[in-house]
Amino acid sequence: MTSNLAMFVFIAWRNIWRYPIRSLLTVFALAGGLIIVILYSVLLEGMTRQMVTYATDMSTGHLQLHRRAFIDDQDLYATLPWSYLNAAETALPAASVAPRLYAAGLASAQASSTGVLIKAVDAAREPRATRLLDSVRSGTAELGPASDSTDGLPRANVVVGTQLAKNLKLQVDSELILVTQAADGSIGNGLFRVAAILKPVDTAFDRTGVLMSIDTYQSLMSLDSGFHELAVKTPDAENLGTGQALLQQTLERLAREQPLDELGGAAVVRNWREINPTISDMLKLSQSMVVVIGFIVVSLASLGMLNTMLMAVHERTHEFGILLAIGMKSRWLMVMVLIESFLLALISAAIGAALGTWLGRYLQTHGIDFSGTMPDGYDWAGMSFEPVMRGYLDPGHVVNACLIMTLVAMLSSLLPSWRTVRLKPAEVMR
Amino acid sequence: MTLLTLTGICKNFIQGEIQVRALKDINLEVDEGEFAALVGPSGSGKTTLLNIIGGLDAPSSGEAHLNGTDITRLKEAQLSDFRLFQLGFIFQAYNLVPVLSALENVELIMVLQGRPAAERRARAEHYLDLVGLGNVMQRRPSALSGGQQQRVAVARALACGPRLVLADEPTANLDSENASALLDIMYKLSREQKTTFIFSTHDPRVMERAERLIKLRDGRIESDEVVAQPGHAALA
Repeated sequence: MTSNLAMFVFIAWRNIWRYPIRSLLTVFALAGGLIIVILYSVLLEGMTRQMVTYATDMSTGHLQLHRRAFIDDQDLYATLPWSYLNAAETALPAASVAPRLYAAGLASAQASSTGVLIKAVDAAREPRATRLLDSVRSGTAELGPASDSTDGLPRANVVVGTQLAKNLKLQVDSELILVTQAADGSIGNGLFRVAAILKPVDTAFDRTGVLMSIDTYQSLMSLDSGFHELAVKTPDAENLGTGQALLQQTLERLAREQPLDELGGAAVVRNWREINPTISDMLKLSQSMVVVIGFIVVSLASLGMLNTMLMAVHERTHEFGILLAIGMKSRWLMVMVLIESFLLALISAAIGAALGTWLGRYLQTHGIDFSGTMPDGYDWAGMSFEPVMRGYLDPGHVVNACLIMTLVAMLSSLLPSWRTVRLKPAEVMR
Repeated sequence: MTLLTLTGICKNFIQGEIQVRALKDINLEVDEGEFAALVGPSGSGKTTLLNIIGGLDAPSSGEAHLNGTDITRLKEAQLSDFRLFQLGFIFQAYNLVPVLSALENVELIMVLQGRPAAERRARAEHYLDLVGLGNVMQRRPSALSGGQQQRVAVARALACGPRLVLADEPTANLDSENASALLDIMYKLSREQKTTFIFSTHDPRVMERAERLIKLRDGRIESDEVVAQPGHAALA
C-alpha cells in the first residue's frame, strides 16, 4: 500500500505538470484566495487589537471598580471611600490604579454652550494606568490651577475633546465656563483655561469630555467623600481572572470592615470585556467573520480546482479505462485524483501562505497610512481608530486559512474523483 | 492442458431500441502456451469476446473459466485482482501512461501487484531488454515511436507474469516493418515464457503468424483451425 501510495503521488505530481498553464492558473486562483483571506484576517485582527488597546490603554484599563448605583444610574453620590484606593494598590502591587470622578455639566465659551461630561483624574496616577493624558493634539495636558484671568478671576486648567473644542470654538488658552449642580445642592461653577485639546480617543468623550484634576473637581462639585471609578491596569492583560478575583475578595473584606451605605450599593469589579460588551462581541464576531469570509473566498477560488479536475478526469477517461483494464482498482484511481487535488492545494497553500505572511508582516510593520486624508483617524462602529491602520499577523490564522483552503479544495475535487469510480473499462475504451 | 474454456457465451447490446446480438453461443477451449488469433471482419465480435475473456465486460449468458476460475461470477474487486495477476493486456493504441517513462510504465503493474522495488525494477529492465528497448527505457511515450511504444506495452503485459496475454489489434497502428518485428518478439517471448497469447485481428500479417486461427463472423465461430506452419515458426 505504501508502495502504491508513493507511485500514485509520483503519477499525480507528473500529471499536475502535464498541463502546466492550467495547473498554475488553478494554483494562482487558490493562492490568491488564500492571500485575500490572510490579509483580511490580518487587518481585522489588527483593527480588533487596536480596538481592545484603545478600550483598555486609552481609558478603560483592564479592570474597573465602581459601586452598583454608579453603574446603573451614574449616581453622583455612589462613591467609594479613598481607603479603597490604598486597599486596591496593596492587593495588586504590580498593577497601576487610577481613581476618577464624574459629573454632568454645562460648558459655555463665547456665545456657545453645550452639555459636557466632567471627568476628574489623578494627574500622577492616570498616566501609569492609561494613555489618556498622552493623547494630546495641541497644548500640554496640565491639570490643576492656572494663572488668573485677565479680569483677575481664579482659573483651573482643563483638557477637552476634539469635537467639543470645535463645537465651542475652543483653542489652547481659551476660557471655558462650567456650570453644574454640586453634590451639596448648590450651583457649582467656575472659570477654566483650556490647557490642551485631546486627539479623538473615544467618540462620546470626544464630543463632550472635559478633563480636570481631582482637586478642581472636589472644589467645583463640593464632593470629597471618595471617587466614582478606579481604573486598574494589570501586567498580564490576557489573564485578568486572577486579578479580578483578588480585587473582589479585597472589596468583600473591606465591605465587612468598613460597611458602605446601602444607597450606593456594593462595590463591583468588572473586566474590560464586561465594561465594553460591544468590543468583546466584535472580537468574537471578527473571528467568526474571518472563517465565513474565508470560506466564501476560498470556495469561489476552489471552483477553479473543480473545473481543472473535471477537465483532467474528462480528458483522461480513456487512460483511466486502460489503468482499470490492467488491474488498477477504481478506488485507487479515485485516490490518485484526490492526491492530484491535494498536491495542487498544497502548492497553493505554500505559495499563498508565504506571500500572505509576507504581506501581512508588511501591514503589521507599516500599516496603511490614512493620516494624509484623516489626520485624526477614523470612526468605525462607534469606535475611534488611529489614522494608520495596522494589521496583526496571527500565525494560527494563517494555519487555519491554509486548512480551510485545503479542505474546500479537496471537497471540490470529490465530484471529479467520484466520476472515476463509476468508469467501466470496456465502455471508456470503446 | 486447457487454460481457457468458454461455454455458451452470448452477449447482447441494446443500441437505441434495437437489440444487437454481438456474440452467439461461443464455445471455445484454449490450451496453455497457444499463440491463437481471433480473426474476422469489423463487427464480428472479436473485441467483445476478448473483453469478456479479460473480465472487462460481462456476457449476457454463458461461462468463462480461466485456470479453473469462472470469470463471469467474479465481483468488481475480484475482477481487478484477476486482471492484475492473471492477465496481460496489449491494446491497439499502445495506451501507455504518458507521464511515466517506459521503465515506469512496465513497473506500474508490478507496483499494483505489490512486488518489491528491486524485483520489479529488475523485471522491468529485463523485459525492456527482451523487446529491444534497453537503451530507451527512461524515455516517456511521447519520445518513442509507435513501434517502440507497442513493444513497451508487450514488456508491460509480460513483466507481470500473466497466464494469458490478450492483444486487441496489436499491429493495427504499425507499419509492416514494425508489425513484423513486434510479432516476432511476441512469438519468441510466448515460446520462452510459455505464455498463452490470444489476439484479435483482421491483419493478414498477424494471421500468417498465428498457430491457431479462430474465425468469427456475425458473433459466431465460423471456423477454428490449427495452422501447420505459422509464418515465423523458424523463430521458435
